[in-house]
Amino acid sequence: MSGALSGRSARGGRIPIPALLGAALLLALTAPAAASAQSFLGFRALGVPVGAVGARGTALGNLGIGLARVEISATDPAASSRLVFPTFGITMQPTWGSFDLEELTGTSRTNHLPLLGIGYPVRTADGVVGVATVSLSGHMEQRWVARRQSTVVLSEVEVEVQDSYRNDGGTSVVRVGWAQRLGSRLSLGVSAGSYLGRLDRVFDRELDSLAVGGEVYSFREEYAWQYSGYLVSAGFNAEPHPLVHIAGAAEGSGNLKETPREGTEGEGLYSIPLRFSAGASGSLSPRLAVNVSGVYQNWAASDGFLAGVTSGRKWSYGAGLEWRAVEGLTRSLPVRFGYRRLAPPFRFESEDPVESIWSAGVGLNLAEEEDIRFGWMDLAIERGSRSSAPLDEHFWRATVTLGISRF
Amino acid sequence: MSEHTPTIPRSPGCRILAVGVLAAAGACTEALPTVERKELVRSGFATEVILEYDEFASGARVYGGFGRASDLGAGFVAHDFGPQPDDGSAQEGLKASSLLRFGRYPKTAQVSDTTGTTRPDSMLTFLFGRLVMRFDSLSSVHNDEPVEIFAHALTEPWDGATATWDYRVDSVGHRERWSVPGGGAVEEIGRTTWDPETGDTIKIRVDSTWIAAWSDTTDFSRGVRVSTTTPGVRLRVSSALLRLETIPSSNPDSIIQVPSSTENRTFIYAPAATAPVKTLRVGGVPAWRTVLDLDIPSVLNRPDELCELVGCPVDITADHVSYAAIRLTTRTGARAFAPTDTLSLDLRSVMAPEILPKSPLGPSRTGAFGTLLPHEWFQPPAQEIAEIPVTGLVRDLLRGETMDGDPVSKTIAILSIFEPLTVEYMSFDWASSPAAPKLRIVLNFSHGGGT
Repeated sequence: MSGALSGRSARGGRIPIPALLGAALLLALTAPAAASAQSFLGFRALGVPVGAVGARGTALGNLGIGLARVEISATDPAASSRLVFPTFGITMQPTWGSFDLEELTGTSRTNHLPLLGIGYPVRTADGVVGVATVSLSGHMEQRWVARRQSTVVLSEVEVEVQDSYRNDGGTSVVRVGWAQRLGSRLSLGVSAGSYLGRLDRVFDRELDSLAVGGEVYSFREEYAWQYSGYLVSAGFNAEPHPLVHIAGAAEGSGNLKETPREGTEGEGLYSIPLRFSAGASGSLSPRLAVNVSGVYQNWAASDGFLAGVTSGRKWSYGAGLEWRAVEGLTRSLPVRFGYRRLAPPFRFESEDPVESIWSAGVGLNLAEEEDIRFGWMDLAIERGSRSSAPLDEHFWRATVTLGISRF
Repeated sequence: MSEHTPTIPRSPGCRILAVGVLAAAGACTEALPTVERKELVRSGFATEVILEYDEFASGARVYGGFGRASDLGAGFVAHDFGPQPDDGSAQEGLKASSLLRFGRYPKTAQVSDTTGTTRPDSMLTFLFGRLVMRFDSLSSVHNDEPVEIFAHALTEPWDGATATWDYRVDSVGHRERWSVPGGGAVEEIGRTTWDPETGDTIKIRVDSTWIAAWSDTTDFSRGVRVSTTTPGVRLRVSSALLRLETIPSSNPDSIIQVPSSTENRTFIYAPAATAPVKTLRVGGVPAWRTVLDLDIPSVLNRPDELCELVGCPVDITADHVSYAAIRLTTRTGARAFAPTDTLSLDLRSVMAPEILPKSPLGPSRTGAFGTLLPHEWFQPPAQEIAEIPVTGLVRDLLRGETMDGDPVSKTIAILSIFEPLTVEYMSFDWASSPAAPKLRIVLNFSHGGGT
């Protein structure tokens, strides 16, 4: 492995690593806001959280921590410590949703890039001393459109009015971190990150031109805010037994600041509660593994939100099974199943929301040796629902992660 | 720290990355969830403000003289139509005559000879002619009574483009009067009675003497005056032509009809409409235009419900204006020129107000068809509200420039959609009257996009 910052193209040419990194970040930043789903939850707050998990973790019902043999993770700071080659992973996620809101129903269709990351092992003459990581992941998102029809009286004529209110945006997190192996059984990791993103709101009002008299222009006001803030996290990975992998992490965040852009008024400052996560995975047989994970985050005490908006639920958890259905010398095909139950932080009205997701997936490990993957494609399909009366949402979601190593 | 670097086969990673990038770039079709629910919408507020004339405009004036009767492409025939006071001064009824001048006769015609073969014949013998005229029965006023129509031959040279009731030539710097107003000395060609119940066309025979005389195209006195003596009528002539009864040389036993071209078609009338006093006027021949200087306020202190919502004074920007229209109140004008059919108003920016009335005008602000006004609105008691949408103009004025960044003139002209369109004109209440022009604005505000 050359120490030079370059990779090899499909035709064997060298591709500079910074160029790859730049292209990947550019792709992520120009794509729609990182997100896992669209929801009306949290329409009076920051929306719904985004699961910054790759397709393997998604299929396994994992919450982003405690999964053995993870190459790229935004939420498990020590997960990349085992990397021996520069590794890049990108996750794409199309979602098909539907909702029931009392007598109203509707559908949605969206695409996202919820996780993009790079792990870069730093070498000395003695070997790898640690792994530097960079990731861009989703955090919160709110993307929805609401409409309302009403009438106004103008010149003694009732005029139909249609108001449209479009929310499109959310927060992402860009993190840099360091994962360090301490001996053969313990790894530590730290990361620091910054919130990114913006929220665009467009209010559009159309009057019935026939009733008004013709040449009616729609009224449109656009508002935009920019998010900023910082967060730090630390965590560990350990293998107390060759068949057991455990991990834990804590993430602290400064206030999330919502700054109005030019022409917009209203500043927001939200406290983001501490996030504790832990998980474990174990091998039940040479081909079968199980994992569990949980997250604790208490949003109820957060500041900056309207009264009654934050949920009282604090715990999210998930579990899954991975079975290496096909295993070759340098290739394998694992099959995965999982379930997770999440506690979104913001209510629709007054009921604490719950999100439950069944998932399944398959991995195409195209090049691997000694449990280290060098080229892979993970696929996951989820069927989920979230509810916070009177809102019920359901979705099908596909997740695809592509990863390469040794480029 | 122990380290073991595995040896692996060549990685297919870059190919995977390429597939992924392409997939991500291609997955772009999105549809956000959309719900009809009021509590998710930051509601807006719509209100209507009627600005009085002094609040948005000044300098109302009326200019006349745009276009000529010969531009109209149609003619009028009238006699003692609508006598009544106009703007306080006694006015006799409208007299109008159509003037026609026919062009060079055809030199050849396609004729069936004695063997039945059609071939060109250049040896034509013109026997006599028929003047065929068609009236627009819908826009003509005839009281459903038969109308006497006369055709007279003109005997004095006249200019087909500029002739008026008093002048046979009325060009810039060159005026020559008819010996007798209304066409000078004339000789009767023929007469007929048009009964509106029997059709819309009349024919008057023209003797061979006149046909022979009019074959000299260097004679500028040739022409026909069509008039009426039936009082209280105003007929619109939609078409007029001369058909020549002709004997072809190739078939001398037959008579064929050959149409002659029409070189000039105009009309002359009296009395001419006098300049309006304390009345806004649009239309007529030559056409009248009403000009206003606009000064749209950018700050409002009413209405109360708006002040309660956003606090007064309220700054008004172009984005707040969803609709704006100038409201004119119709009034009854001279009966002689009263509209008898739907008319159409146009509104344009005056590009160089300092050189009015000859300033060029900007593009139409009212679209291809203008603002249509029914003729009944100008019949007593009138006082109907004619609303000309000017949303784009008001937004431009509030913005200080057009959407393209061009300067926008504060002076506007209200005119007929085509000039000239008809001898009829529209009258509206003057700027100082109680029913002066007003500006109706529909404003929209949101309750903010606050988070």
